[in-house]
Amino acid sequence: MLKIVFGDVPNSIYHPPTYFDNRYEDEWITDPLTVEMIKDIDKSDVIGVHLIESPVLGPISTKEISGGVKTLILMAFDTSGKIFNASACGDNCAKWIVELGKRKDLTINLHHVMDFSSVGTFDAVMQNTGRVIHNYGEYLEEAIGIKER
Amino acid sequence: MKGKYHIVVQNNKLRYELEIKRNITIIRGDSATGKTTLIGLLESAASLGEDSGIEVVCERPVRTLSGNDWNLLLPNLHGQILFLDEENRFMKTREFAAAVRASDNYFVIITREDLPNLPYSVDEIYGIHTSGKYHDMKRTYNEMYRIYSTEKLSGRQRPDEVIVEDTNSGYEFFSEICSGSEIRCASAGGKSNLKAVLSEAQEENTLVIADGAAIGAEMNELYQLMLYKPSLKCYLPESFEWLILKSGIIDGKEVRDILNHPEEYIESQEYFSWERFFTAMLVDYTKDSYLKYSKSRLNKAYLHGRVKEAVLKTMEGIDFSGAETEK
Repeated sequence: MLKIVFGDVPNSIYHPPTYFDNRYEDEWITDPLTVEMIKDIDKSDVIGVHLIESPVLGPISTKEISGGVKTLILMAFDTSGKIFNASACGDNCAKWIVELGKRKDLTINLHHVMDFSSVGTFDAVMQNTGRVIHNYGEYLEEAIGIKER
Repeated sequence: MKGKYHIVVQNNKLRYELEIKRNITIIRGDSATGKTTLIGLLESAASLGEDSGIEVVCERPVRTLSGNDWNLLLPNLHGQILFLDEENRFMKTREFAAAVRASDNYFVIITREDLPNLPYSVDEIYGIHTSGKYHDMKRTYNEMYRIYSTEKLSGRQRPDEVIVEDTNSGYEFFSEICSGSEIRCASAGGKSNLKAVLSEAQEENTLVIADGAAIGAEMNELYQLMLYKPSLKCYLPESFEWLILKSGIIDGKEVRDILNHPEEYIESQEYFSWERFFTAMLVDYTKDSYLKYSKSRLNKAYLHGRVKEAVLKTMEGIDFSGAETEK
């Protein structure tokens, strides 16, 4: 189940890309889920644990993938219990956040109202109010009423 | 600092082109568009100069601002264009907003957060548009006659309800106009209240009228409300005072020149955002006339005859008459 909490919360990582650079595990990078997310968001191919092929930059290191994908990978694989700031993700990551929330209990932190309109229907718990939402409209109405950012 | 600046940042694989013309520019958008890469190029160029192999072309010095000692560094920087990446949590503090206000630098801020302490323009929110090695800036929110909508607009828009951001002269003007056209008009009592008022809006076609020059922090949520309720639209002139100046009732080449190129006249250290400049300008240009302007209370001269008509005519695309929307 996806849980969304707005504003500053304990145990959260404000800038997940930096955390990723210092904490990622090699096996995360070649997992089929990661390969698919990197292809979708960055349009890049995972060649190996330490090498990504970017259509613009050519061969790049794992640390040069986008901040949005780094955050998604942490959400998918990190087991530290940290809550990652999804405001480091663009709206093109929204569908992956929803997908990850279907696969596991995932709590994300937001400091802005992320646009989930591309997803449409999804379930999430709005932690600030406790309300369970089932689609983008319910999410938006609830999010706008929450003061924390 | 004032003026418009063209910036080129490039190496042999990437080229970024940006044009900056206000004290605060926001860059946001999808992941993997090259925002962090741009910051990395600027950091390397600033620390290593030509040895970095990165070319930065701009009339003004361009550099990044980051880290916990930003507040020690900033007072020593003048007349520069400063880029800040999203990792800098201090960007949403009141301390940073006060420092920006006092600064004679321009700020380009990469963030998806709204930063309500900073009065930035709807026109200066960009995403990075990428085509191979080439990157340029594309406005996030598009308009037609300064009407922002998620629907394709055709013809002039006649609202059933108007929600005005402020409670002062602007609200008095539109309230009077609407009362003659059977359009409901209400004040939101400030831009930060807009989204709450709009969530409750009952009418079919609701039009928000707000100062575009400082509405930036509200735009993400306003735009999503427009996505959700497509009949909701925003009319965002720079400000109500800008509308009056634009209407031509105060004639003169100087006024026209300023309105055509405000960035050449507005000193950012003096005016935190452009709407404050236009208010000061209108007060100054009307001080000895029957149109003497006060922001706190509307001079009734603005509600009569050619003055009222000129302001309404400037609002191309909006129909305040009693008739249905013209096609």
